[in-house]
Amino acid sequence: MTTLAPASTTTAKVKQQRPDRDTKGAGWIALITIAVFLLLWQFIPQTGLINRVLFPTFTDTLAGFVQLVSGGYWWEDLGKTMMAVAIAWPIGVAFGFSMGVILGTSPFIRQAITPYAIAVQALPKVVLAPLLIGWLGFGSESKIALAVIICFFPVWIDTMVGLALPAANEFKLMQSLKATRRQIFLKLQLPSAIPMIMVGVKHSLLLAFTGVLVAEILSASDGGLGKLAKEFASQLNMPLTYSVVGIVVILAVALVSIADVIERRVVFWSEESRARKR
Amino acid sequence: MTTTTQTAPLVRATGVTKKFGSGDKEMVALSGLNLEVREGEFLSLLGPSGCGKSTALNIMGGLLSATEGSITFGGKTLTEPSRQIGMMFQQAVMFPWRTTLDNVLLPVEIFGESKKKYRAKAEELLSMVGISEFAGSYPWQLSGGMQQRAALCRVLLHDPKLLLLDEPFGALDEFTRETMNQELLRLQAHTKSTAVLVTHNITEAVFMSDRVAVMSARPGRLIGILEIPFDRPRTPDLQTTSDFVALVAEARKMLELQ
Repeated sequence: MTTLAPASTTTAKVKQQRPDRDTKGAGWIALITIAVFLLLWQFIPQTGLINRVLFPTFTDTLAGFVQLVSGGYWWEDLGKTMMAVAIAWPIGVAFGFSMGVILGTSPFIRQAITPYAIAVQALPKVVLAPLLIGWLGFGSESKIALAVIICFFPVWIDTMVGLALPAANEFKLMQSLKATRRQIFLKLQLPSAIPMIMVGVKHSLLLAFTGVLVAEILSASDGGLGKLAKEFASQLNMPLTYSVVGIVVILAVALVSIADVIERRVVFWSEESRARKR
Repeated sequence: MTTTTQTAPLVRATGVTKKFGSGDKEMVALSGLNLEVREGEFLSLLGPSGCGKSTALNIMGGLLSATEGSITFGGKTLTEPSRQIGMMFQQAVMFPWRTTLDNVLLPVEIFGESKKKYRAKAEELLSMVGISEFAGSYPWQLSGGMQQRAALCRVLLHDPKLLLLDEPFGALDEFTRETMNQELLRLQAHTKSTAVLVTHNITEAVFMSDRVAVMSARPGRLIGILEIPFDRPRTPDLQTTSDFVALVAEARKMLELQ
Protein backbone atom coordinates (compact mmCIF):
# COMPACT_ATOMS: atom_id res chain seq x y z
CA MET A 1 0.00 0.00 0.00
CA THR A 2 2.71 2.42 0.94
CA THR A 3 4.58 1.86 -2.29
CA LEU A 4 1.45 2.68 -4.27
CA ALA A 5 0.96 6.11 -2.72
CA PRO A 6 3.81 8.00 -4.46
CA ALA A 7 2.87 6.50 -7.84
CA SER A 8 -0.71 7.74 -7.58
CA THR A 9 0.38 11.26 -6.64
CA THR A 10 2.63 11.46 -9.69
CA THR A 11 -0.20 10.43 -12.02
CA ALA A 12 -2.39 13.07 -10.41
CA LYS A 13 0.24 15.68 -11.17
CA VAL A 14 0.58 14.58 -14.79
CA LYS A 15 -3.19 14.79 -15.16
CA GLN A 16 -3.16 18.37 -13.94
CA GLN A 17 -0.45 19.34 -16.35
CA ARG A 18 -2.05 17.86 -19.42
CA PRO A 19 -5.79 18.15 -19.06
CA ASP A 20 -6.61 18.38 -22.81
CA ARG A 21 -4.97 15.18 -23.80
CA ASP A 22 -6.52 13.31 -20.93
CA THR A 23 -10.12 14.39 -21.53
CA LYS A 24 -9.73 13.70 -25.23
CA GLY A 25 -8.51 10.19 -24.47
CA ALA A 26 -11.38 9.60 -22.07
CA GLY A 27 -13.85 10.78 -24.74
CA TRP A 28 -12.54 8.29 -27.27
CA ILE A 29 -12.63 5.44 -24.77
CA ALA A 30 -16.26 6.26 -23.93
CA LEU A 31 -17.22 6.35 -27.63
CA ILE A 32 -15.52 3.03 -28.37
CA THR A 33 -17.15 1.41 -25.34
CA ILE A 34 -20.60 2.55 -26.52
CA ALA A 35 -19.94 1.30 -30.06
CA VAL A 36 -18.81 -2.13 -28.85
CA PHE A 37 -21.78 -2.36 -26.51
CA LEU A 38 -24.28 -1.51 -29.27
CA LEU A 39 -22.70 -4.01 -31.66
CA LEU A 40 -22.86 -6.79 -29.08
CA TRP A 41 -26.47 -5.81 -28.28
CA GLN A 42 -27.34 -5.99 -31.96
CA PHE A 43 -25.66 -9.29 -32.84
CA ILE A 44 -25.75 -11.55 -29.78
CA PRO A 45 -29.58 -11.93 -29.78
CA GLN A 46 -29.39 -12.78 -33.53
CA THR A 47 -26.99 -15.66 -32.95
CA GLY A 48 -29.64 -17.52 -30.96
CA LEU A 49 -27.37 -17.84 -27.96
CA ILE A 50 -29.98 -16.00 -25.93
CA ASN A 51 -33.74 -15.69 -26.36
CA ARG A 52 -34.53 -12.88 -28.76
CA VAL A 53 -38.01 -12.41 -27.30
CA LEU A 54 -36.61 -11.65 -23.88
CA PHE A 55 -33.52 -9.86 -25.19
CA PRO A 56 -34.48 -7.92 -28.33
CA THR A 57 -31.74 -6.51 -30.56
CA PHE A 58 -30.77 -2.86 -30.55
CA THR A 59 -32.74 -2.09 -33.73
CA ASP A 60 -35.82 -3.94 -32.39
CA THR A 61 -35.62 -1.82 -29.26
CA LEU A 62 -35.13 1.33 -31.32
CA ALA A 63 -38.26 0.49 -33.33
CA GLY A 64 -40.13 -0.03 -30.05
CA PHE A 65 -38.88 3.32 -28.84
CA VAL A 66 -40.13 5.09 -31.95
CA GLN A 67 -43.48 3.31 -31.60
CA LEU A 68 -43.76 4.34 -27.95
CA VAL A 69 -42.81 7.96 -28.48
CA SER A 70 -45.01 8.42 -31.55
CA GLY A 71 -47.89 6.61 -29.82
CA GLY A 72 -48.57 9.60 -27.63
CA TYR A 73 -50.29 7.79 -24.76
CA TRP A 74 -47.11 7.60 -22.75
CA TRP A 75 -46.98 11.37 -22.27
CA GLU A 76 -49.61 11.13 -19.57
CA ASP A 77 -47.58 8.48 -17.74
CA LEU A 78 -44.42 10.54 -18.08
CA GLY A 79 -46.27 13.56 -16.69
CA LYS A 80 -47.63 11.58 -13.75
CA THR A 81 -44.22 10.23 -12.81
CA MET A 82 -42.49 13.59 -13.14
CA MET A 83 -45.29 15.35 -11.26
CA ALA A 84 -44.94 12.92 -8.38
CA VAL A 85 -41.16 13.47 -8.32
CA ALA A 86 -41.67 17.24 -8.50
CA ILE A 87 -43.93 17.11 -5.46
CA ALA A 88 -42.12 14.45 -3.41
CA TRP A 89 -38.57 15.74 -3.89
CA PRO A 90 -39.09 19.28 -2.50
CA ILE A 91 -41.12 17.88 0.41
CA GLY A 92 -38.35 15.36 1.16
CA VAL A 93 -35.65 18.03 0.87
CA ALA A 94 -37.56 20.47 3.10
CA PHE A 95 -38.25 17.79 5.69
CA GLY A 96 -34.69 16.43 5.61
CA PHE A 97 -33.24 19.94 5.84
CA SER A 98 -35.44 20.86 8.80
CA MET A 99 -34.54 17.66 10.63
CA GLY A 100 -30.87 18.26 9.86
CA VAL A 101 -31.00 21.82 11.18
CA ILE A 102 -32.87 20.84 14.36
CA LEU A 103 -30.52 17.95 15.10
CA GLY A 104 -27.43 19.75 13.89
CA THR A 105 -27.94 22.72 16.20
CA SER A 106 -29.38 21.04 19.28
CA PRO A 107 -27.12 18.41 20.88
CA PHE A 108 -29.92 17.43 23.25
CA ILE A 109 -32.42 16.57 20.52
CA ARG A 110 -29.63 14.92 18.54
CA GLN A 111 -28.85 12.56 21.39
CA ALA A 112 -32.50 11.80 21.93
CA ILE A 113 -33.25 11.02 18.29
CA THR A 114 -30.03 9.43 16.98
CA PRO A 115 -30.89 5.80 18.00
CA TYR A 116 -34.20 6.03 16.13
CA ALA A 117 -32.55 7.73 13.20
CA ILE A 118 -30.10 4.85 12.88
CA ALA A 119 -32.95 2.33 13.02
CA VAL A 120 -34.88 4.23 10.34
CA GLN A 121 -31.79 4.47 8.16
CA ALA A 122 -31.15 0.74 8.41
CA LEU A 123 -34.71 -0.05 7.36
CA PRO A 124 -35.15 -0.87 3.65
CA LYS A 125 -37.88 1.70 3.23
CA VAL A 126 -39.50 0.00 0.25
CA VAL A 127 -41.02 -2.43 2.73
CA LEU A 128 -43.25 0.43 3.87
CA ALA A 129 -44.89 0.61 0.44
CA PRO A 130 -47.71 -1.89 1.20
CA LEU A 131 -48.36 -0.07 4.46
CA LEU A 132 -48.55 3.32 2.74
CA ILE A 133 -50.81 1.94 0.02
CA GLY A 134 -53.00 0.53 2.76
CA TRP A 135 -53.20 3.88 4.52
CA LEU A 136 -53.36 6.23 1.59
CA GLY A 137 -54.86 4.13 -1.19
CA PHE A 138 -53.58 3.37 -4.68
CA GLY A 139 -53.54 6.97 -5.84
CA SER A 140 -50.70 9.42 -6.13
CA GLU A 141 -50.67 10.09 -2.35
CA SER A 142 -49.08 6.75 -1.45
CA LYS A 143 -46.64 7.19 -4.33
CA ILE A 144 -45.52 10.60 -3.09
CA ALA A 145 -45.38 9.40 0.52
CA LEU A 146 -43.07 6.52 -0.35
CA ALA A 147 -40.82 8.80 -2.41
CA VAL A 148 -40.64 11.33 0.44
CA ILE A 149 -39.75 8.65 2.97
CA ILE A 150 -37.03 7.26 0.71
CA CYS A 151 -35.53 10.59 -0.32
CA PHE A 152 -35.39 12.76 2.81
CA PHE A 153 -32.70 10.80 4.58
CA PRO A 154 -29.55 11.90 2.75
CA VAL A 155 -30.56 15.57 3.05
CA TRP A 156 -31.09 15.10 6.77
CA ILE A 157 -27.74 13.40 7.36
CA ASP A 158 -25.76 15.69 5.04
CA THR A 159 -27.27 18.83 6.61
CA MET A 160 -26.41 17.56 10.08
CA VAL A 161 -22.86 16.64 9.12
CA GLY A 162 -22.38 19.86 7.13
CA LEU A 163 -23.40 22.07 10.05
CA ALA A 164 -20.64 20.48 12.14
CA LEU A 165 -17.98 21.11 9.48
CA PRO A 166 -16.57 24.54 10.50
CA ALA A 167 -13.19 24.31 12.24
CA ALA A 168 -12.60 25.31 15.85
CA ASN A 169 -10.85 28.50 14.70
CA GLU A 170 -13.87 29.62 12.70
CA PHE A 171 -16.12 29.25 15.73
CA LYS A 172 -13.47 31.04 17.79
CA LEU A 173 -13.45 33.98 15.38
CA MET A 174 -17.23 34.27 15.57
CA GLN A 175 -17.16 34.02 19.37
CA SER A 176 -14.46 36.68 19.63
CA LEU A 177 -16.81 38.97 17.68
CA LYS A 178 -19.61 38.12 20.12
CA ALA A 179 -21.75 36.67 17.36
CA THR A 180 -25.12 35.34 18.49
CA ARG A 181 -26.02 31.67 17.95
CA ARG A 182 -28.28 32.76 15.14
CA GLN A 183 -25.43 34.69 13.47
CA ILE A 184 -23.04 31.77 13.89
CA PHE A 185 -25.64 29.56 12.23
CA LEU A 186 -26.50 31.91 9.36
CA LYS A 187 -23.07 33.34 8.61
CA LEU A 188 -20.82 30.36 9.34
CA GLN A 189 -22.48 26.97 9.76
CA LEU A 190 -25.10 27.15 7.03
CA PRO A 191 -22.79 28.45 4.28
CA SER A 192 -20.16 25.87 5.28
CA ALA A 193 -22.79 23.15 5.07
CA ILE A 194 -24.14 24.06 1.65
CA PRO A 195 -21.72 21.91 -0.39
CA MET A 196 -22.65 18.88 1.73
CA ILE A 197 -26.35 19.74 1.57
CA MET A 198 -26.16 20.00 -2.21
CA VAL A 199 -24.75 16.46 -2.36
CA GLY A 200 -27.69 15.26 -0.26
CA VAL A 201 -30.18 17.18 -2.39
CA LYS A 202 -28.78 15.60 -5.58
CA HIS A 203 -28.82 12.16 -4.04
CA SER A 204 -32.39 12.65 -2.87
CA LEU A 205 -33.50 13.61 -6.37
CA LEU A 206 -32.59 10.16 -7.66
CA LEU A 207 -34.07 8.50 -4.58
CA ALA A 208 -37.35 10.38 -5.08
CA PHE A 209 -37.39 9.15 -8.68
CA THR A 210 -36.74 5.59 -7.47
CA GLY A 211 -39.46 5.83 -4.83
CA VAL A 212 -42.05 7.01 -7.35
CA LEU A 213 -41.16 4.26 -9.84
CA VAL A 214 -41.25 1.53 -7.17
CA ALA A 215 -44.65 2.73 -5.98
CA GLU A 216 -45.94 2.78 -9.56
CA ILE A 217 -44.75 -0.78 -10.16
CA LEU A 218 -46.40 -1.93 -6.93
CA SER A 219 -49.73 -0.13 -7.36
CA ALA A 220 -50.62 0.25 -11.00
CA SER A 221 -53.84 2.24 -10.77
CA ASP A 222 -52.36 5.75 -10.85
CA GLY A 223 -50.29 5.25 -14.02
CA GLY A 224 -46.76 6.45 -14.58
CA LEU A 225 -43.62 5.12 -16.23
CA GLY A 226 -43.30 2.36 -13.61
CA LYS A 227 -46.76 1.07 -14.43
CA LEU A 228 -45.98 1.26 -18.14
CA ALA A 229 -42.81 -0.81 -17.78
CA LYS A 230 -44.62 -3.40 -15.67
CA GLU A 231 -47.48 -3.71 -18.19
CA PHE A 232 -45.20 -4.04 -21.21
CA ALA A 233 -43.13 -6.66 -19.40
CA SER A 234 -46.20 -8.68 -18.46
CA GLN A 235 -47.21 -8.63 -22.15
CA LEU A 236 -43.67 -9.85 -22.98
CA ASN A 237 -43.35 -6.74 -25.18
CA MET A 238 -39.68 -6.40 -24.48
CA PRO A 239 -38.77 -3.68 -27.01
CA LEU A 240 -41.29 -1.36 -25.35
CA THR A 241 -40.22 -2.37 -21.85
CA TYR A 242 -36.63 -1.61 -22.80
CA SER A 243 -37.74 1.73 -24.23
CA VAL A 244 -39.39 2.74 -20.97
CA VAL A 245 -36.24 1.75 -19.09
CA GLY A 246 -34.23 3.75 -21.62
CA ILE A 247 -36.41 6.81 -21.06
CA VAL A 248 -35.95 6.48 -17.31
CA VAL A 249 -32.17 6.33 -17.81
CA ILE A 250 -32.22 9.44 -20.02
CA LEU A 251 -34.40 11.32 -17.53
CA ALA A 252 -32.19 10.35 -14.60
CA VAL A 253 -29.03 11.43 -16.38
CA ALA A 254 -30.66 14.70 -17.45
CA LEU A 255 -31.90 15.45 -13.93
CA VAL A 256 -28.51 14.74 -12.40
CA SER A 257 -26.75 16.87 -15.02
CA ILE A 258 -29.04 19.82 -14.33
CA ALA A 259 -28.48 19.36 -10.60
CA ASP A 260 -24.71 19.25 -11.20
CA VAL A 261 -24.78 22.54 -13.11
CA ILE A 262 -26.84 24.21 -10.37
CA GLU A 263 -24.52 22.80 -7.71
CA ARG A 264 -21.44 24.15 -9.43
CA ARG A 265 -23.01 27.61 -9.64
CA VAL A 266 -24.08 27.66 -6.01
CA VAL A 267 -20.96 26.24 -4.36
CA PHE A 268 -18.31 27.43 -6.82
CA TRP A 269 -16.17 28.31 -3.82
CA SER A 270 -16.05 24.86 -2.27
CA GLU A 271 -12.86 22.84 -2.45
CA GLU A 272 -14.56 20.05 -4.40
CA SER A 273 -15.87 22.41 -7.06
CA ARG A 274 -12.48 24.04 -7.46
CA ALA A 275 -10.77 20.65 -7.66
CA ARG A 276 -13.17 19.58 -10.42
CA LYS A 277 -12.51 22.73 -12.44
CA ARG A 278 -8.76 22.15 -12.43
CA MET B 1 10.04 52.19 33.69
CA THR B 2 10.29 55.96 33.55
CA THR B 3 6.57 56.62 33.48
CA THR B 4 5.38 54.59 36.46
CA THR B 5 2.66 57.07 37.37
CA GLN B 6 0.47 56.00 34.46
CA THR B 7 -3.24 55.46 34.29
CA ALA B 8 -4.59 52.02 35.18
CA PRO B 9 -3.42 49.21 32.87
CA LEU B 10 -5.72 48.20 30.02
CA VAL B 11 -5.57 44.54 31.03
CA ARG B 12 -4.71 43.16 34.43
CA ALA B 13 -4.38 39.44 35.08
CA THR B 14 -4.38 38.52 38.75
CA GLY B 15 -3.39 34.98 39.77
CA VAL B 16 -4.82 33.48 36.59
CA THR B 17 -4.66 29.69 36.64
CA LYS B 18 -6.17 27.40 34.05
CA LYS B 19 -6.59 23.67 34.51
CA PHE B 20 -7.90 21.33 31.86
CA GLY B 21 -9.49 17.98 32.67
CA SER B 22 -10.01 16.67 36.19
CA GLY B 23 -8.79 13.97 38.54
CA ASP B 24 -5.82 12.00 37.25
CA LYS B 25 -6.01 13.66 33.88
CA GLU B 26 -5.89 17.17 35.29
CA MET B 27 -3.37 19.33 33.48
CA VAL B 28 -2.31 22.76 34.67
CA ALA B 29 -1.91 24.82 31.50
CA LEU B 30 -1.29 28.11 33.24
CA SER B 31 -0.30 28.72 36.82
CA GLY B 32 -0.79 31.94 38.77
CA LEU B 33 -0.21 34.48 36.02
CA ASN B 34 0.11 38.07 37.19
CA LEU B 35 0.50 40.45 34.30
CA GLU B 36 -0.42 43.96 33.31
CA VAL B 37 -0.82 45.19 29.77
CA ARG B 38 -0.35 48.94 29.51
CA GLU B 39 -2.41 51.10 27.22
CA GLY B 40 -0.76 51.51 23.82
CA GLU B 41 2.10 49.10 24.38
CA PHE B 42 3.18 46.11 22.34
CA LEU B 43 3.64 43.13 24.64
CA SER B 44 4.83 39.67 23.64
CA LEU B 45 4.20 36.41 25.44
CA LEU B 46 7.31 34.38 24.64
CA GLY B 47 7.82 30.74 25.50
CA PRO B 48 8.12 27.17 24.30
CA SER B 49 5.01 25.25 23.25
CA GLY B 50 3.00 24.14 26.25
CA CYS B 51 3.87 27.21 28.32
CA GLY B 52 0.25 28.34 28.34
CA LYS B 53 0.80 31.48 26.28
CA SER B 54 -2.10 30.75 23.94
CA THR B 55 -4.27 29.79 26.91
CA ALA B 56 -3.41 33.11 28.54
CA LEU B 57 -4.33 34.93 25.33
CA ASN B 58 -7.65 33.12 25.01
CA ILE B 59 -8.48 34.00 28.62
CA MET B 60 -7.64 37.66 27.94
CA GLY B 61 -9.96 37.49 24.94
CA GLY B 62 -12.79 36.10 27.03
CA LEU B 63 -12.91 32.90 24.99
CA LEU B 64 -11.80 30.76 27.93
CA SER B 65 -12.61 31.28 31.58
CA ALA B 66 -9.90 31.08 34.20
CA THR B 67 -10.06 28.26 36.76
CA GLU B 68 -8.68 30.64 39.38
CA GLY B 69 -7.89 34.32 39.38
CA SER B 70 -9.42 37.05 37.27
CA ILE B 71 -8.88 39.37 34.33
CA THR B 72 -9.89 42.96 34.13
CA PHE B 73 -10.17 44.84 30.87
CA GLY B 74 -10.41 48.61 31.04
CA GLY B 75 -10.97 48.35 34.77
CA LYS B 76 -13.89 45.92 34.54
CA THR B 77 -13.82 42.18 35.16
CA LEU B 78 -13.82 40.32 31.86
CA THR B 79 -16.18 37.36 31.68
CA GLU B 80 -17.01 37.14 28.00
CA PRO B 81 -15.55 38.31 24.65
CA SER B 82 -15.64 42.03 24.03
CA ARG B 83 -16.04 43.93 20.79
CA GLN B 84 -13.24 46.19 22.02
CA ILE B 85 -10.89 43.22 21.64
CA GLY B 86 -9.83 41.89 18.25
CA MET B 87 -8.29 38.46 17.82
CA MET B 88 -6.04 37.06 15.10
CA PHE B 89 -5.08 33.41 14.79
CA GLN B 90 -2.35 31.38 13.14
CA GLN B 91 -4.75 30.66 10.30
CA ALA B 92 -6.29 33.58 8.44
CA VAL B 93 -9.79 32.08 8.98
CA MET B 94 -11.31 33.54 5.84
CA PHE B 95 -14.72 32.30 4.73
CA PRO B 96 -14.34 30.93 1.19
CA TRP B 97 -17.85 31.96 0.10
CA ARG B 98 -17.15 35.63 0.80
CA THR B 99 -14.97 37.96 -1.21
CA THR B 100 -11.93 39.42 0.53
CA LEU B 101 -13.78 42.71 1.09
CA ASP B 102 -16.80 40.93 2.56
CA ASN B 103 -14.51 38.94 4.82
CA VAL B 104 -12.95 42.15 6.07
CA LEU B 105 -16.44 43.58 6.66
CA LEU B 106 -17.60 40.53 8.66
CA PRO B 107 -17.14 42.12 12.12
CA VAL B 108 -19.33 45.16 11.45
CA GLU B 109 -21.91 42.91 9.83
CA ILE B 110 -22.04 40.88 13.05
CA PHE B 111 -22.19 44.04 15.15
CA GLY B 112 -25.27 44.97 13.16
CA GLU B 113 -23.71 48.14 11.80
CA SER B 114 -24.03 49.44 8.28
CA LYS B 115 -21.53 47.82 5.94
CA LYS B 116 -21.77 50.85 3.67
CA LYS B 117 -20.38 53.07 6.38
CA TYR B 118 -17.31 50.88 6.78
CA ARG B 119 -16.77 50.02 3.14
CA ALA B 120 -14.43 52.93 2.45
CA LYS B 121 -12.45 52.17 5.57
CA ALA B 122 -12.13 48.50 4.63
CA GLU B 123 -10.89 49.48 1.19
CA GLU B 124 -8.43 51.91 2.72
CA LEU B 125 -7.06 49.21 5.03
CA LEU B 126 -6.75 46.78 2.11
CA SER B 127 -4.76 49.33 0.15
CA MET B 128 -2.60 50.06 3.19
CA VAL B 129 -1.49 46.42 3.22
CA GLY B 130 -1.19 46.46 -0.56
CA ILE B 131 -3.96 44.10 -1.62
CA SER B 132 -6.66 46.53 -2.69
CA GLU B 133 -6.82 44.96 -6.16
CA PHE B 134 -7.90 41.68 -4.54
CA ALA B 135 -10.89 43.16 -2.71
CA GLY B 136 -13.30 41.41 -5.06
CA SER B 137 -11.35 38.13 -5.19
CA TYR B 138 -12.11 35.12 -3.06
CA PRO B 139 -9.67 34.15 -0.29
CA TRP B 140 -8.76 30.89 -2.04
CA GLN B 141 -7.46 32.95 -4.94
CA LEU B 142 -5.00 34.64 -2.56
CA SER B 143 -1.67 33.43 -1.18
CA GLY B 144 -1.31 32.64 2.52
CA GLY B 145 0.44 35.96 3.14
CA MET B 146 -2.26 37.94 1.37
CA GLN B 147 -4.93 36.12 3.36
CA GLN B 148 -3.23 37.11 6.61
CA ARG B 149 -3.04 40.71 5.35
CA ALA B 150 -6.79 40.59 4.84
CA ALA B 151 -7.21 39.08 8.32
CA LEU B 152 -5.19 41.99 9.70
CA CYS B 153 -7.54 44.43 7.96
CA ARG B 154 -10.53 42.55 9.39
CA VAL B 155 -9.27 42.79 12.96
CA LEU B 156 -8.43 46.50 12.60
CA LEU B 157 -11.69 47.49 10.90
CA HIS B 158 -13.66 48.34 14.03
CA ASP B 159 -10.73 49.93 15.91
CA PRO B 160 -10.48 47.49 18.81
CA LYS B 161 -8.59 48.86 21.79
CA LEU B 162 -6.74 45.60 22.25
CA LEU B 163 -5.31 43.27 19.62
CA LEU B 164 -4.70 39.67 20.67
CA LEU B 165 -2.43 37.98 18.17
CA ASP B 166 -1.94 34.22 18.45
CA GLU B 167 1.17 33.55 16.31
CA PRO B 168 -0.60 35.27 13.43
CA PHE B 169 2.21 34.80 10.96
CA GLY B 170 3.52 31.48 12.28
CA ALA B 171 2.30 29.56 9.26
CA LEU B 172 4.00 31.87 6.77
CA ASP B 173 7.51 31.59 5.37
CA GLU B 174 10.35 33.55 6.99
CA PHE B 175 10.43 36.37 4.41
CA THR B 176 6.69 36.94 4.33
CA ARG B 177 6.60 36.83 8.11
CA GLU B 178 9.16 39.61 8.38
CA THR B 179 7.24 41.88 6.01
CA MET B 180 4.00 41.09 7.81
CA ASN B 181 5.56 41.97 11.16
CA GLN B 182 6.57 45.33 9.70
CA GLU B 183 3.03 45.90 8.44
CA LEU B 184 1.65 44.97 11.81
CA LEU B 185 3.90 47.43 13.66
CA ARG B 186 3.06 50.18 11.20
CA LEU B 187 -0.69 49.64 11.50
CA GLN B 188 -0.58 49.24 15.28
CA ALA B 189 1.24 52.57 15.56
CA HIS B 190 -1.22 54.13 13.12
CA THR B 191 -4.30 52.95 15.05
CA LYS B 192 -2.68 53.52 18.47
CA SER B 193 -4.04 50.20 19.67
CA THR B 194 -2.57 47.95 22.34
CA ALA B 195 -1.24 44.60 21.17
CA VAL B 196 -0.41 41.28 22.81
CA LEU B 197 1.51 38.87 20.59
CA VAL B 198 2.00 35.18 21.32
CA THR B 199 5.19 33.79 19.79
CA HIS B 200 7.95 31.24 20.30
CA ASN B 201 10.40 33.23 18.20
CA ILE B 202 12.80 35.15 20.45
CA THR B 203 14.05 37.57 17.78
CA GLU B 204 10.52 38.34 16.67
CA ALA B 205 9.40 39.00 20.25
CA VAL B 206 12.31 41.37 20.95
CA PHE B 207 11.96 43.17 17.64
CA MET B 208 8.24 43.77 17.92
CA SER B 209 7.72 44.53 21.58
CA ASP B 210 7.98 47.21 24.21
CA ARG B 211 8.03 44.42 26.78
CA VAL B 212 8.52 40.68 26.48
CA ALA B 213 6.88 38.39 29.03
CA VAL B 214 9.01 35.25 29.14
CA MET B 215 7.16 32.07 30.09
CA SER B 216 8.13 28.48 30.87
CA ALA B 217 6.30 25.22 30.34
CA ARG B 218 4.75 22.55 32.57
CA PRO B 219 3.14 24.19 34.32
CA GLY B 220 2.93 27.34 32.24
CA ARG B 221 4.01 30.34 34.25
CA LEU B 222 5.66 33.72 33.91
CA ILE B 223 9.44 33.78 34.45
CA GLY B 224 10.06 37.47 34.05
CA ILE B 225 9.48 40.54 31.95
CA LEU B 226 12.10 42.06 29.70
CA GLU B 227 11.90 45.77 28.83
CA ILE B 228 12.83 46.54 25.23
CA PRO B 229 13.84 50.20 25.09
CA PHE B 230 14.37 50.74 21.33
CA ASP B 231 12.75 53.69 19.58
CA ARG B 232 9.98 53.33 17.05
CA PRO B 233 9.51 53.00 14.19
CA ARG B 234 11.90 50.08 14.14
CA THR B 235 13.62 48.86 11.00
CA PRO B 236 15.12 45.42 10.30
CA ASP B 237 18.61 46.96 10.68
CA LEU B 238 17.96 47.06 14.40
CA GLN B 239 18.38 43.31 14.56
CA THR B 240 22.10 43.52 13.82
CA THR B 241 22.93 46.05 16.56
CA SER B 242 24.80 44.78 19.62
CA ASP B 243 22.11 46.06 22.01
CA PHE B 244 19.50 44.02 20.19
CA VAL B 245 21.67 40.90 20.15
CA ALA B 246 22.32 41.33 23.87
CA LEU B 247 18.59 41.50 24.64
CA VAL B 248 17.92 38.40 22.54
CA ALA B 249 20.69 36.60 24.46
CA GLU B 250 19.17 37.69 27.76
CA ALA B 251 15.73 36.39 26.77
CA ARG B 252 17.34 33.13 25.69
CA LYS B 253 19.12 32.83 29.03
CA MET B 254 15.85 33.38 30.91
CA LEU B 255 14.27 30.58 28.89
CA GLU B 256 17.20 28.20 29.33
CA LEU B 257 17.64 28.71 33.07
CA GLN B 258 14.32 27.01 33.60
